[in-house]
Amino acid sequence: MPESVPLEEGYFVIPTEPDAPPHLLGSRCRACGEHFYPRRATCARCLSYDTEEVQLGPRGTLYTWTYLHVPGFGEHRATSTGYAAGQIDLAEGPRVQAVLEGGAGDFAIGMAMELTLAQVATDKQGRAVLMYRFRPVEARP
Amino acid sequence: MRDVAVLGVGMVPFGVHKGVPITTLVRNAGRDALADAGIGFGEVQAAYVGHMQSPPMKAVVWMKELGLTGIPVTRVENASATGSVAFREAYRAVAAGWCDVAMAVGAEKFSDLSGAQIQSGQRDIEATILPVGFFAMWAQRRMHERGTTAAQIARVAAKNWNHGARNPMSHRRPDHVVTADEVLASRMISEPLTAMMCCPVSDGAACAIVTTTEIARRLQPERPLVTVRASALRSETYTAGHTFLGAVVGPARMTADTAREAYEQAGVGPEDVDLVQVHDAFAIEELEYYELLGLCRPGEAESMIESGATALGGRVPFSTDGGLLARGHPGGPTGLAQIWETVHQLRGTAGPRQVAGARTGLCHLVGGGSVCCIHILQAS
Repeated sequence: MPESVPLEEGYFVIPTEPDAPPHLLGSRCRACGEHFYPRRATCARCLSYDTEEVQLGPRGTLYTWTYLHVPGFGEHRATSTGYAAGQIDLAEGPRVQAVLEGGAGDFAIGMAMELTLAQVATDKQGRAVLMYRFRPVEARP
Repeated sequence: MRDVAVLGVGMVPFGVHKGVPITTLVRNAGRDALADAGIGFGEVQAAYVGHMQSPPMKAVVWMKELGLTGIPVTRVENASATGSVAFREAYRAVAAGWCDVAMAVGAEKFSDLSGAQIQSGQRDIEATILPVGFFAMWAQRRMHERGTTAAQIARVAAKNWNHGARNPMSHRRPDHVVTADEVLASRMISEPLTAMMCCPVSDGAACAIVTTTEIARRLQPERPLVTVRASALRSETYTAGHTFLGAVVGPARMTADTAREAYEQAGVGPEDVDLVQVHDAFAIEELEYYELLGLCRPGEAESMIESGATALGGRVPFSTDGGLLARGHPGGPTGLAQIWETVHQLRGTAGPRQVAGARTGLCHLVGGGSVCCIHILQAS
């Protein structure tokens, strides 16, 4: 796997093993057990400062979605066909908004989704800049 | 707290003001409000300037267009709710007795900016999905839960476009009656939202001047007094399913909680409201706000739009000036344009848009999905 970097540090983990799934980086409140994405230092539920970093995902359920007929992030207007976006309820609780992998007809509320990484740019050192997406579990080749 | 009245309102038509400096828009809206109030800038004791974009201090510098009188000038920013919160601060300054006459001004030129610049300041990881996508997802979820149809959402948009045709201040002033079919046939932006279900990119400025009811009665004995009966501002309360990254759709509870607080302050209920302005940047929103503001029961929003209850001439007209969808949504001045419309309605000077016998008007905006601001104005 060529060297790659996240679009921004601290939001997701790029797997080092070839077949390992990626994970999101979130927080768990040690006082009340609530999970959050992204990481936060104060529990939004009970206001405790006692939070710890945890990995979240890679599975979730599609809460809602849309298909945007506009160029996606980093795409050129002339070649873009648009992109899907959705909200995914992770098994741990948090609801995550993300770009979805697939066409306009590929999604239905309630379907099982999984986290995946996709290249959105190349940085000055020639490394692949990755961002997370979700895709339907069923559509996996 | 002292009772506060709106002494004057002014605005420039919303639209694309290419080549017109924003200082000119501020000056024209400010002078319009001063003329309406019947006072000079020398009598204004505090100013709150609503503006979303641009570097620090700009808003304060623009106020020099109206005069340099040494008064405290404060810039206010709360995304879409910026103008509402500028109005709230002016209201609070007078209500608390800090001053007797305060001005709220909002101005913005979105047409000078690219879409990317409008979202500037957001980190890349937050900007990968356009705002319209979040509201489209809201629509998809409602369609899933309630069986709402795209045609019902289109009816909201068509209604507001047609209201805009009756408003000289409206950005969109269609020369024909817009139908739901026309809205549905316009370019698909983010399913199910078509271009005509989304607000335009507008420029504009608007201004309101508030004072005590006592002073207002003395200065304008011949005019119906429009008082500010409630000013409520809330941020989000954490609930499960909250999205922390990139969210622009506020949780339902925020609008419902803010409305409850506003009704309590005003001593009125939803049944007393004669007309409503809301954050209808995307047509799906207005349907949700029928329920969240208590104007109908949950699940009744679709029959509300289909019956015509929220159109001019209906039981409780929404977005009487065209709303964000037609009148436009330049950001900074949007909340003050709602005040402008409501004050004219309550004075009985709204012309072809006049709601017969209007006595109580509610103005609602959300900002960045994370704040909600509601004012209730009443004619006495």
